[in-house]
Formats: sequence, structure tokens, C-alpha cells
Amino acid sequence: MSDRLDDLERRIDALRAGVRKAMRDRDGAAARVLRAELRSAERDWDALVSGEQPKAAPEPPPLVTVREQVHQGLRLLGATAQPRLIVAVSEAFLGGTIRSAQLTSLRRDEERSFRSSPYGRPYYLCAALTDRLSPGRGLLALSSWPLERRVVGPLSPRVDFLTCAIAVASQKSEDERAARLLGRMARNIPGASSGALGPPHPERVIEAARAELAVHAERDTRDRAELARRAAAQLDDAARLFGAATLSTIKKEYVT
Amino acid sequence: MSGLKREGDTVQRLDALRGTTPPRPHDARAIAALAANPGCTRRALMDGAGVDKDAAARHLGFPAPFGQSPFAITRGNVFESLVKADGCAELLRMLRELLGLPIAEVAYHDVENVGAHLRHAHTRALIDRAARDAQDAGTLYDHPLLTLQIAGHTAYLEPDVVAFQLGGRFHIVEIKSFAVIDGQADPAAVAAAARQAAVYVLALRTLLEDLGHDPLKVSHEVVLVCPENFANRPVATLVDVRRQLAVLRRQLTRMTTLDRLLADLPDDLTFDLRPGEDGRPTRPVAELADALHRTTARYAPDCLSTCDLCFFCRDEARQEGASDLLGRQVRDELGGVASVAEALGLADGVRDPAEGQEEIARLLRNAERLRRECLT
Repeated sequence: MSDRLDDLERRIDALRAGVRKAMRDRDGAAARVLRAELRSAERDWDALVSGEQPKAAPEPPPLVTVREQVHQGLRLLGATAQPRLIVAVSEAFLGGTIRSAQLTSLRRDEERSFRSSPYGRPYYLCAALTDRLSPGRGLLALSSWPLERRVVGPLSPRVDFLTCAIAVASQKSEDERAARLLGRMARNIPGASSGALGPPHPERVIEAARAELAVHAERDTRDRAELARRAAAQLDDAARLFGAATLSTIKKEYVT
Repeated sequence: MSGLKREGDTVQRLDALRGTTPPRPHDARAIAALAANPGCTRRALMDGAGVDKDAAARHLGFPAPFGQSPFAITRGNVFESLVKADGCAELLRMLRELLGLPIAEVAYHDVENVGAHLRHAHTRALIDRAARDAQDAGTLYDHPLLTLQIAGHTAYLEPDVVAFQLGGRFHIVEIKSFAVIDGQADPAAVAAAARQAAVYVLALRTLLEDLGHDPLKVSHEVVLVCPENFANRPVATLVDVRRQLAVLRRQLTRMTTLDRLLADLPDDLTFDLRPGEDGRPTRPVAELADALHRTTARYAPDCLSTCDLCFFCRDEARQEGASDLLGRQVRDELGGVASVAEALGLADGVRDPAEGQEEIARLLRNAERLRRECLT
């Protein structure tokens, strides 16, 4: 055992000297390689001296792509949602590893893929359509949903929020993050949180959300049906998924 | 006819004052800062002419440490997106608690959906519709774009949110990331937020008036949203901005009646920086400083948080030993005593009080006596 430690120490010394020399020679690439080796040698030394086996990579690369994680999150929520909420849901219930920043270019990539080979994928992460049939800013939807669910009228942000809250409350999870997420959502639904400390009761959240949903449902359904009818009549396939271009984008396209 | 001519003269005079640089557009912060020191002639002239005060201050060697830190900006943006997340869910909760917004009122319009250059027209259309039939209108308008005329120029303003409440009144919502701790917030920060919100109230009132609606449909109470007690949980308060509105209105009319101020100025006066080919000012610093000294400033310590020229004016006030340096309150109490040296002279009796200064001289002597007693 101590022989191996001695070996490692000698190796670490040699590597440190190597890094110093590479830095002196201004050879950045070599220094980087040597530093990586040095770090791994130091890790081995730490593991050996404390009697532990060296661990594998701290976090295994996710087996599920970002795209698929977003898909799962949206399927769970069942309504258009902002990336922030999707990330939170994915973390709390699906063991997700997405960061919000990874979602920024996602929609554009999806649109590009759809335009180059339409309907080549089983589903697309697409835009929610606003009352002007343009893509709603920061709202994601799934292409497999009916058009009525992908358009957003004036009341839809609230309706979708309540729908998402019901979906979150219906999930069983022991995860602390799930309780926090539910607590955050419940706070913004009248009558959902009991006022006492601690996580809110899922049944109570569902009940309160349903009660408020009933107030908005009729008019929202009407607005959405009307929007969906207009979208179906006026837009082509790609625009139906990713929204009609706003005037500024048209201008840009003509300029280039 | 003569009115028209006069107006043309004013514009020409202001252009001459600004010199060769293009006018600087005003944003809400700058307009709000106008209301912070309404009595300052130097500031009224420079803003009226659209002079780049920042560049002038830099050139004079008194750059002001303005511009928020990237951390503050990020923090502000994160807090704003938190309040506005999921169709303004947090904001709705607070408006329900604070204004008693009915459950049914949740309609949300994101004005930004139409693309940048249509935003103002779209805001106009939406607000017009909302003011016309309150029954079926929206509740929250996100990212609206309002305009305000500042001395002949159009300034574009972006309030955080305009909330529409069923009582037929609009409320401006201002989201700020400074903390409220135990119900208390930094008074200076609140005052700045109130001034900024007053600019939006005025702009929205102007818009309604243009559309032929009652401008008083915009409430003078604005909703200020801040994080509470070191957590990121937002809390809303109503702030009355009537006073700020009055000051702002006075300041804006003052800027449009600049001819009176201009009439007192020498004809050859200009604040021109004479930028060279690379845009750097080439005018001798002493000459520019001299030009500025020919206008009267009213320096107060509050200027340090609002005006780009603050350090220049502070330096000037210091050299003159003006009592302005000590803050508005002290200056007002020293009514009639203009300089620190004069006040000190009155206090230790070296100087005899002039007519009307007897009272203040007595107070100052008393204060001096008390001070001496404390020290010995």
C-alpha cells in the first residue's frame, strides 16, 4: 500500500515539475494535459490514503437528451409552460439534469429540423401561439397536442398555470424539491395553502386549483377554440407549430 | 406668427447649446431624475438641449460612478422574471391581496409578442380597447411601450407591467429588487422608484388623454413589488406618487418654457464638446468648465445618486463654500445664509448679522456655545 503511495507521490512531483516547465515554455496545450493528469493522480492519492476506491466520474453523463427531458416534463405538465417550470418539474419528478440555459436554442433547432424534413420526428418541442398567431415568448408546447391546447388566449396563462399545478400535485414524490415546487405554486392559488408552515396538501391544492379553473374555463375554452380555428385556416404546417413570423422577422429575412 | 418664430428661436438656441453632437434620448431613469432636483437651471438647460451629460462630466474629469453593476442587473432581471413567471402568477396573488382583484380577472397580454417596432402601436390599441369596454378587457399588460414628449423629443418608456383593475382604473406596477425588511425599505430607493413610476403614470395618462379617455383612469397609486426579508419572496405595497407627479409635471413644463432661462444666458454660450473624427471631445476642459460655471446649479447631496454632473457641481459648491453641500435640510434651516464661511462667521460673532439674519445668527451662536460647552 505505502509503496503505491510513494509511487504516486513521485509521480505527482514529476507532474508538477512538468506543468511548471510547460508554463515556462508557454505551451498551454501541454500544460492542460499535464494538469489533468496531475489532478487525477492527486485524486488517486486522496482515495488511497483514506482507503477509498477512486470514484468514477462524479456525475454520469445523462442518458436522456435535453430534448427528451423537456418532452417528458411537458407531458407531465400537460399544458404550455415556461422553461423555468419545465426544469423544476424535470428535476423534482424525473431526475432531470437540464439547466435553463440549455433550452434557449432548443426551439430554433426544432424548427430548423422540421423545415428541412417535415414530420421526420415523432414529436417536436414547439411554440405556443398567441392571439396574433405569433410564437408566444418563452412558452413551450408539444406538437403532439391538439391545436386548442397549444394556442394561448388572454386567460390561458392562468389556466395553464392551474393545470400545471394540478399535474404537479397529482404526482407522488418523496423528493423535497417536489414539495418546494408544489408549495411555490400553491401560494399563488387562493385557498390552496393551509396557512400553516410545511408543504401544502396535494388534495387541497387540486381542489383549490379546480375551483379557480372553473371560473376561467368556459371563456378560455371559447377563446382557444376560436384561435385554433383561425390558426388552422391561416397557417401552413410549419407556422402552425412554430408560429407565424412577426413583421420584424419578415423584414430581417428580406434584408438578408 | 411671433409664437412660431420664438419657438424656432428656442430650438435653434438649444441646438447651439448642444453643439455638434446629436441629442441624447431620455429614458425613464433620466426623466425621473429630473424630478429629483427641479430647481437646477444647469440641469434643465442641459437636459432640454439633450446634451450628453455623462460625456461632458467625463471630459471635465469628474466622471460619475453610474451604471449598475452586472450583479445588480442580473439580480433585478431574475427577480422580475420570478414575479412574472407563469402568467404573472405571483403578481396576481399580490394584487388579489392588495387591491382585492377578483378571481376572474387574470387576462394577460404580452405586448412584446408583436415584435419590437409595433409595440407602441399595439400598446395603444390594447389600452384603448381596455379603456373603452372595461367588461371584456385584459387585466395585465406585460412589456408595454409608452411615449412621453420631452422638450420636443419623443422618449420611449418601458414600465415593468401595467395592471388593469376591474374598477376601471389602471395601475402601474414597478418591480424593484431592493429588499423590504420588516416592512421597511431604503427611503432613497423607494423615492427613486416612486419618481420612476410617476413618469410611467404621466406617460399612460397622456396616452389615455390622446385617445380621448379620462386621464384620471390611471391611478396615482402605484404598486411597488420588492423582495421581502432576505428571501426572494415578492411583496407588494401601494405607493402614492401624487407629489412626484406634480414635481415631474412642473419640471416638464419648465423644460418646454426654456426660453425664459435661455433669455438670461449670454449669446455665445455653448456646451459643445466639439467631438473630433473619432468622437472624442476636443474642446479645452477649462473652456467647457467656464461655460458651465456661467449657468447656476443647485447642488444637493441627492444629486450624487441621480445626475451625471454631480461631482462637477459638488466641486464647484465646495470651492464656493456653499451651504448646499450640507444637504437640503440644513440649507433650508440656514435660510438667507449662502456660504459655510458666512455661517461660521455668524456663529463665533466675527461677522455681524445683516438685516433679516438676526434670528439665524442667534441660533447659530447658541449652537456654537453648546458645542463649546460639550467639548470642554
